[in-house]
Amino acid sequence: MFVLPPPPPRYTVPVAYAAGASNGMAVPVVETNNIISHPEGGCSLQAGEGTYLLRDDLHLATPPPHPSEAPVMNPNPLATVPAPPTSGVKLSLVSIGSRIKTPTPSVDGVGAASLFGDGNPALAAPPVKEGLKRRKPKNNIIKSSSSFVSRVITHETATKRLNDRNPDGLFAFANINRAFQWLDLSAKQKEEPVTKILFTKAHMISHDINELTKSTSHIDVVMGSSAGDIIWYEPMSQKYARINKNGVVNNSPVTHIKWIPGSENLFMAAHANGQLVVYDKEKEDALFAPELGSPSAETMKSSSGRSPLQILKSVNSRNQKTNPVALWKLANQKITQFAFSPDRRHLAVVLEDGSLRVMDYLKEEVLDIFRSYYGGLICVCWSPDGKYIVTGGQDDLVTIWSLPERKIVARCQGHNSWVSAVAFDPWRCDDRTYRFGSVGDDCRLLLWDFSVGMLHRPRVHQANARQRTSMIVSNTQHLNRHRADSGGNRTRSDSQETADTYNSYDPTVRHPVEPRARTALLPPIMSKIVGEDPICWLGFQEDSIMTSSLEGHIRTWDRPREGINDNYSYSPAISASATGSGRADSMMGSL
Amino acid sequence: MGSFLRSFRRDVGSSTPSVGATPAKKEPLALPITPLEKMLQEMGSDSVRQDGSDKFFGMENYGNTCYCNSILQCLYYSVPFREAVLNYPTRTPIESLEAALAKNLRYQNFAANQEAEAQAEKQRLANAQRPGAPPAQPPKPEDKDSSEYKKKIALQSLPLLETKNNAGSYGMSESLFTSLKDIFESVVASQSRIGIVRPQHFLDVLRRENEMFRSAMHQDAHEFLNLVLNEVVANVEAEAMKQPIPSLPPADTTDSSRQSISSGSKTPNTTRWVHELFEGTLTSETQCLTCENVSQRDEIFLDLSVDLEQHSSVTSCLRKFSAEEMLCERNKFHCDNCGGLQEAEKRMKIKRLPRILALHLKRFKYTEDLQRLQKLFHRVVYPYHLRLFNTTDDAEDPDRLYELYAVVVHIGGGPYHGHYVSIIKTQDRGWLLFDDEMVEPVDKNYVRNFFGDKPGLACAYVLFYQETTLEAVLKEQEMENMNASAADANEAAVKPNGFPQPAGLAHVHSASQIPVQDEPQRHTGLRRAPTAPQLPTHTEYPGPDIEPSSPAVATPPPVPPIPETANRPLSPKKSDIQSKKERAKEEKERKAAEKEMEKQRRKEQEARVKENQRREEAELKAALEASKASKADEDRRNPTENGKDGDPKRSSNGLSRLKRGSKSFSQRLGKDKESRASSSGLPSVPSAEPLTPNPVPLEPVQQLSPRKASPPKESHVVHKPLGQDDEPDALKSPKGDRAGHGKWRSFSIRKKSFSILS
Repeated sequence: MFVLPPPPPRYTVPVAYAAGASNGMAVPVVETNNIISHPEGGCSLQAGEGTYLLRDDLHLATPPPHPSEAPVMNPNPLATVPAPPTSGVKLSLVSIGSRIKTPTPSVDGVGAASLFGDGNPALAAPPVKEGLKRRKPKNNIIKSSSSFVSRVITHETATKRLNDRNPDGLFAFANINRAFQWLDLSAKQKEEPVTKILFTKAHMISHDINELTKSTSHIDVVMGSSAGDIIWYEPMSQKYARINKNGVVNNSPVTHIKWIPGSENLFMAAHANGQLVVYDKEKEDALFAPELGSPSAETMKSSSGRSPLQILKSVNSRNQKTNPVALWKLANQKITQFAFSPDRRHLAVVLEDGSLRVMDYLKEEVLDIFRSYYGGLICVCWSPDGKYIVTGGQDDLVTIWSLPERKIVARCQGHNSWVSAVAFDPWRCDDRTYRFGSVGDDCRLLLWDFSVGMLHRPRVHQANARQRTSMIVSNTQHLNRHRADSGGNRTRSDSQETADTYNSYDPTVRHPVEPRARTALLPPIMSKIVGEDPICWLGFQEDSIMTSSLEGHIRTWDRPREGINDNYSYSPAISASATGSGRADSMMGSL
Repeated sequence: MGSFLRSFRRDVGSSTPSVGATPAKKEPLALPITPLEKMLQEMGSDSVRQDGSDKFFGMENYGNTCYCNSILQCLYYSVPFREAVLNYPTRTPIESLEAALAKNLRYQNFAANQEAEAQAEKQRLANAQRPGAPPAQPPKPEDKDSSEYKKKIALQSLPLLETKNNAGSYGMSESLFTSLKDIFESVVASQSRIGIVRPQHFLDVLRRENEMFRSAMHQDAHEFLNLVLNEVVANVEAEAMKQPIPSLPPADTTDSSRQSISSGSKTPNTTRWVHELFEGTLTSETQCLTCENVSQRDEIFLDLSVDLEQHSSVTSCLRKFSAEEMLCERNKFHCDNCGGLQEAEKRMKIKRLPRILALHLKRFKYTEDLQRLQKLFHRVVYPYHLRLFNTTDDAEDPDRLYELYAVVVHIGGGPYHGHYVSIIKTQDRGWLLFDDEMVEPVDKNYVRNFFGDKPGLACAYVLFYQETTLEAVLKEQEMENMNASAADANEAAVKPNGFPQPAGLAHVHSASQIPVQDEPQRHTGLRRAPTAPQLPTHTEYPGPDIEPSSPAVATPPPVPPIPETANRPLSPKKSDIQSKKERAKEEKERKAAEKEMEKQRRKEQEARVKENQRREEAELKAALEASKASKADEDRRNPTENGKDGDPKRSSNGLSRLKRGSKSFSQRLGKDKESRASSSGLPSVPSAEPLTPNPVPLEPVQQLSPRKASPPKESHVVHKPLGQDDEPDALKSPKGDRAGHGKWRSFSIRKKSFSILS
């Protein structure tokens, strides 16, 4: 492996350095430069369509602890002081070019769907004059005297780099420890961050970029921290604003944050205490007290948590001068992630208690509650057409759920540890077949194919080897006993339940856990250990697959180019389906 | 009335440190309240429960006995196991327990201890300053947050609970089981909610019967768990053999006891309760690749040992051991069908799921290069809930849901030294850390600090999962993090009649409790009163479910300390024979009873409650007297004691203990490494006996042993555990068969084991 010689250290403690160097002791220098490496013949991914070759491995430097933090020499393994939450490296990618990159399959009713908060005149945005520049946050982050921000390091030639670059190139924003880096992935020296922000104590846990407002001179980034504070950051002007300052609205860590699709100002943050909060980037904070006027505040009191959603402040509230715009309590458990459906109507939320809750967030209603096989759920995403939800969790399973049918579709077995991120590959999805990937604490990247036609007939021996999809293999041992009744049974019980719950006033359907014997099992088409530390993020780009890991490795694989990889191409899925499910099963067992 | 009692008890329970010093009324050193006491106060304390679920006792470490302490704590909080231990063969008559407690529970005078220690310190300094002695180290200021300091304070301030042999009072001869029962019983019966158990007697019995544990060395907690379970089985069975089959008690009582047999696994009358809790069945399916004949063989296990992989989960480790395995080359399979050694495919699956799943993570692995055991610091994640993927098709309830309720953590760099603690989920007080003498409430997330990747060398080593239901889990999740409302819920759970019911989280265990135990029996609640007149004889006689022989065997119970106890209308034994049905019936009858009767009863009850109060006051007085006396006694003795006993104890803490352990442990290396490698060895094997150095010839014999016949399920006699034919465990088997006849073994399933053997 080719590793550059270490560049001169950037971050030393001068006094300690001098003392250490003169005494011949270990010099407290912590390397803080990112390192890029190009592993030769490294970790390629074999899939039906060809070979994905590892382009490079960008290792982000973990910043040293803030000088004010006393170094822990002998950690007490039994210390009962709760450690502040942190997170592995996650990326927010943005291309500010005009070229639309993501294939958007026809999603029903995107245009028709109203926007969040549309019905509330109090939320109507002040008229924006056309052509006017976008509003920036107030404070300059470089000159900030805030104790929240430790310091900001900008690249010497940052302006030049920004001017010279191809606007279609990718920017990446990445959190690592207490640092937040802005990287230009299209640049030659992409390992050198355009800007690096070091916070004093807080770790950024989640961040997102507003697709609607991005331009060559403006990017809206929101990031949620382990302290609960949220930073709205505009990197071009280096301005920022702090929202939920000192946790005035909600003082528990932000676990996930997303701009509400189609909104310039509103974003949603999930907090570790089970609350979903909608903030407006322009609004000031105010100390939050649950609004008692709303009927659900009453029900909350009486039923003490029975209701799946307590609306502590509705989006329809008249009082919209300050943040929060809306605040819902889902549970007493940590919300681990959420995802907006492509049609902008639904919200899928996964929690530490193992539930997947599908919401109509415009109506502020929970429609379905599904449960993991066991353990908490960790990640969630939607298929590009909005028909399927995929989750990953502590049961080592990736699970496919159908939104229109409101039921579990299949469980995908192949990870050896918890599944930390799932994502669809929109470039390899069409109206009948879907490709998605998952990464986990087992350091693996797995790719999965499933097709609609086969999902409802779990046990088919069709020889449609022409399709590049893998097949659904139901657990063979249970097939003979359960196949006959599985389909019928499932729908029956499902419909019964829906009927039952409609009789009562509750719009929420609580789905039981389907036994293993009655659920289709899907094997992966590709499974590969891609690193030595847990992988925590996965993204599909038009030309690449990207992952990032706990300790800061950002890996990029080039997609197979048409024609070049043809001779390598083979499809384990096809061979599996051709030789029958028994083989596929054993293949899975060996994974 | 109830509230009075409650506040009274709270005094006794949560502010015990001051009890000893009450007469003085001028405690110079106000003890800061510990987190545990704080929690108990905040949670609002009703009267002490009789099922022992709200007792939080540390355990004294006699030098490297943390393996014992950590496992005993886990077993105590395994609710069905605790209940079974308490109820087999019967509950000890409360009078005899209280008599024992009066002697064994010692409240301490913290101030006096402190003074004495200061004295000793001075003395030592003075000694050290004598010429010739090495220069005295300036005493380091003590770190008040260190666990060593907390343990020391706990040991000086909390009530100490000696456990002595009490086996006679329930008609058994002394054994490891009875000493375990003695510990459990005295903890349950003690009026104090916190304290420190001194398991000296238990250790004495353990060491008397098991040479391996005789030294003061570091031991393997998993081996110890395995030994305890096996010993309990053996003791209980031996006892059952010794006694004639109990002639049937009167018909009605058998009915009720039969009901409890069928409804819960835990019955005092059967000896199989350990099996019913911890035991599961594994099936190994071997398919001969020549004739495709599938042969099956069942094995039973009390716990599962799983091999670890870096960056994996418990789920995956469990699935791994059901992965297919090829039997080829030197490990060919003897097929009975085609008659000869053939290549075969083998897989292990779980056929019967245990109610309590004890998972041993094999962190100590023999490495060929280093020729010794090494600790694996692999990151192995474990979820709070679990289901098993590797079940057979015909397994009953293959989707059974388990919840994590106890974790034994090993701290240290290697297998030959270190420290064990356990983190345990209690019925309704959340998760607690048990570190020898210290007990401290911890956050639920704390449980996740021991995946193996954190600095500090602490890794989960044994995981205890128990069966539960989704409904129970949902209910519990609702309760979590609602600290404010949780307290309310606790209050609300106290029924109008002053009868506390486990609030909130308690339901989890209810499924695994036998009905009889659902309610605290002995305390001053009003409910039992109505039943008393109907069964008046029970106050005088031991419960009818006691084996007839037992009274003969039993030594006469010690004289109750205070005569009022005789008036107690209900002894715990009686509760045992009452089935739920019966109680329901009685309840109905009671409702139908005339109101006059009720009034009269109420009067009676009041009188009784008053009596109880008086008795308790008297008890307290007696205790105070005793403590005063013992304090005086101690004051006299303490200086010397601290010079002798205190010092070794101090030195046994912290690093010095680690050192000592490592040194002595390494001596055993040569003999025991193989058994350690698989960690499933028979703990009872005396290590003094040199290991037969040539296990290899044995192997074919084992291989040729008939496979198709599944061993008799019922027998507790020799089961050739699977481990013996295909893993290095076989090294131990000759000895194991001799010494460990009738023992159960945990299964360690390892792949690649063939290459190690060959």
